[in-house]
Amino acid sequence: MPSSPSEPLPMSSTQPAPAPAPNADGNPIRDAIAEAIKEHKVILFMKGTPDAPACGFSARTVAALQSLDAPFAAVDVLPDPRIRQELSALSDWPTIPQLFVDGELIGGCDIVIEMFESGELAQALL
Amino acid sequence: MPSAQDIKQRIEAAIEGAHADVEDYTGGGDHFRASVTAPAFAGLTRIQQHRLVYAVFGTEIGGAIHALALKTDAPSQIPTN
Repeated sequence: MPSSPSEPLPMSSTQPAPAPAPNADGNPIRDAIAEAIKEHKVILFMKGTPDAPACGFSARTVAALQSLDAPFAAVDVLPDPRIRQELSALSDWPTIPQLFVDGELIGGCDIVIEMFESGELAQALL
Repeated sequence: MPSAQDIKQRIEAAIEGAHADVEDYTGGGDHFRASVTAPAFAGLTRIQQHRLVYAVFGTEIGGAIHALALKTDAPSQIPTN
C-alpha cells in the first residue's frame, strides 16, 4: 500500500498545534482526527472557522465557548467531506458541530448550549 | 419531505413511551426542533439520549433532514413548577 503523508486537518487553534501524527496504515483522515482529539483538551469540529462560522449551530457553539474565555482548537469540516464522514464514524454522532473535551464527545450545539446555560460547560472546561 | 407530524410519529413509534413535540422551524420540511421525553432516557447521558433519537432517522440526519435540534428529558427530570 502506498504511504502518502497524511494531510493536515484544516485547523485553527488558540493552542499550539500538535506535531504531525505518524502515518498509520489505512485511514489517515480518521487517524488525524483521532490524534487531534487526543492532543487538544478542547476541540470543536465545526462548519467554517471561529471567526467566520458557516452555520448557525456552529456559530452558537463558538459563541458559548468564547464567552467562557475557553481556549479551544477548531477544525473546519467543510473543505473535505471525508472529514465529516470519518468524524461521524468515529464519534457515532451524525451532526456538526461536535465538541470534545479531554477526548470525550460532549455534544453538539443543543447539548453545549444547554450545558452553557446551566453552568455545566464552564465546569467541564476546567 | 417529512412534516413535523411525521417526525413526531416516528420518534414516538420507535422509542417506547416517548412523547415528542416537534416544530418545523423554517417551514421548509428539513429543519426541525424536537423536545422528547421518554422513560428510556432515565439514567442516560444527554449524548446517549440524543443518540437514541438520532438513531430513529439514521442517515436521513444530515441528508433529507438537515437539522434536528433536540432537547431530551426522562420524565422525572421535568421540573414540576
